[in-house]
Amino acid sequence: MRNSMRLLLASCGTLALASAASADTIRIGITQNNVGIDSYQTTYEQAFIEAADANPDVEVIVLDAGGDVARQISQMQDLIQQNVDAIIVWPTDGQALVPAVRNAHREGVPVIVTNSNIAEAGMDFIAAFSGPNNIQQGIYSAEMMCEALDGEGEIVQITGMPGYTTAIERQQGFDERLAELCPGVTQLDIQPGDWNRERAQRTMETLLTRFDNIDGVYSGDDNMGVGALNAALAAGRAEGMVFIGATNFAVGYDAMERGEYWGSVYQSPVDDARAALQTALDVLAGEDVPKLNYFDTPKITQENMHEFDRPVF
Amino acid sequence: MLLTRLKAGGPAIAKQGILVAFIVFMIAFSLMSDRFLSADNIMSVFRQSAIIGVMAIGVTIVVIGGNLDLSVGSMLSFATVLVVDLHDKIGPELAIPVMIMATLCLGAINGFLIGILRLNSLIVTLGMLSAIQGLVLIYSGGQNVDIADQSGTWFAIFGRGAIFGVATPIIIFLGLALIFHVIMTTMPFGRRVHAVGGNPTASVFSGIPRSRVVFMTYLISALCVAIAAIILGSRVMGSQNNVGQGYELQVLAAVILGGTSLLGGSGSILRTVLGVLMLAFIQNGLILMGQPYYTQWLVTWAVIIVAVWLDVAAKRGRLFSPIA
Repeated sequence: MRNSMRLLLASCGTLALASAASADTIRIGITQNNVGIDSYQTTYEQAFIEAADANPDVEVIVLDAGGDVARQISQMQDLIQQNVDAIIVWPTDGQALVPAVRNAHREGVPVIVTNSNIAEAGMDFIAAFSGPNNIQQGIYSAEMMCEALDGEGEIVQITGMPGYTTAIERQQGFDERLAELCPGVTQLDIQPGDWNRERAQRTMETLLTRFDNIDGVYSGDDNMGVGALNAALAAGRAEGMVFIGATNFAVGYDAMERGEYWGSVYQSPVDDARAALQTALDVLAGEDVPKLNYFDTPKITQENMHEFDRPVF
Repeated sequence: MLLTRLKAGGPAIAKQGILVAFIVFMIAFSLMSDRFLSADNIMSVFRQSAIIGVMAIGVTIVVIGGNLDLSVGSMLSFATVLVVDLHDKIGPELAIPVMIMATLCLGAINGFLIGILRLNSLIVTLGMLSAIQGLVLIYSGGQNVDIADQSGTWFAIFGRGAIFGVATPIIIFLGLALIFHVIMTTMPFGRRVHAVGGNPTASVFSGIPRSRVVFMTYLISALCVAIAAIILGSRVMGSQNNVGQGYELQVLAAVILGGTSLLGGSGSILRTVLGVLMLAFIQNGLILMGQPYYTQWLVTWAVIIVAVWLDVAAKRGRLFSPIA
């Protein structure tokens, strides 16, 4: 009895909410991964809210899962209950979220996945994915490495956290493209830096001990890249060593300006957020949206860096 | 039969199972990589282990006192973000004392809840682990912090400098270890910590102010974290807001490897130093040998098990338990 009362109250609430929104307002719910854990996600949220505010036809419900997949699943259920027109989700766990996405699909609510993709098993249930192409980023980094070394040299690679999709895809893109484009460049070793600058610095120190000659370093992001650069500078071996990263951070941008860092891949959280919202609107407008929508993440080098704003993170 | 009668080697060796294990692993690694025992590499590993090492000193004292401290990882994030952020705002000479005071406050909260209110240390510090991480995120707004003028600041001395040719982090690490070793072995405070950890009830009946002693152990732990944060901030010249994530487990592994009993009452700072160095040399050695990271995880685990086993075996004088 008590339960059914609650249900009744809940549905009344939902009805009230639904009728409050005018007929042509588009209501989009977003559940994010973990706002506040890093600058990228913090900036993403701000940019998303700004983009939504700029569009008078859009009303957004902004939620954050705090890195907790169970919370994200219940947030998705809440959003379905609230009768939103579409759900944008930044998966905390691409695998564990598949049932929740399937559920939304069954209820007729289109799901747009943002930033990092859901597991293969969930692809049939999503309307679209919007985010960076990490394999392409790896390819870009390989091309820059090849260009900087003139096709000859010995390099090491410092990857992100083992097991993370972003880390795996960037490494895959880099390894494949480098082998194909630059057979003259050999990879001496590949070790993880766990997205942690201090850890990357430690790893690089040991690699410097092990190899008398290192011509270049590819890091899975600039944060680790700067750690590797720190190690090389401290050992007095940074001169002539080529540092290539990905996800250009402010520290990487500054190091590039000083001429110590060769290049990176520019990925803007603002572009990421806008692309996610636009993809959702396109889906709702009934446009023929491709499954995978990548926003542009161009190469940034010492030469063209002034065409870009200094990253906010 | 040689191994089953380790005690035959004399009581002195029997007590030093961890040292024996350490030497065995060092010899094994040096046979496999000719760079392993080079002076440069040894210095580099000592320097790398200083951050975990300084934290492990504090945690050893907490554990001897019969408690745990799982909050040191996020406390390290907190302290590093704070000192790096304040460096550019109020200058290093003010940033360091402000950060130390703030970190000591966190230690005092731990100490109050566990020492004075007698709450379970596992629950309190596990809670503090996420609470402090939350605090860091609120403070930093999720932004990374960096020191703008990296080459001009004297703050660089702590992580990048050297005194008489020895890297500063090494001097800080070994110096602190020595000081706290002396405190723990020769001074009344050290004996009180051992007593409180070994038998809390008996210690109270002996007139030892148990609450105050436990409170102090958490202050010391927080102080060690603050010092580690100075080294880390100076070495990296910046900080992510989750930089210390997972460090609590590395620290605890080193403390356990050093033979400090998780039940409290016994343990040694110098042996913790050995535990810290051993873990650092394993990671270093495996990269030097070109092993991929998953091998490092497996080998680290195996080494901890073997070392703990050797330690236990040395204490009881035989490899296997006499009681079936």
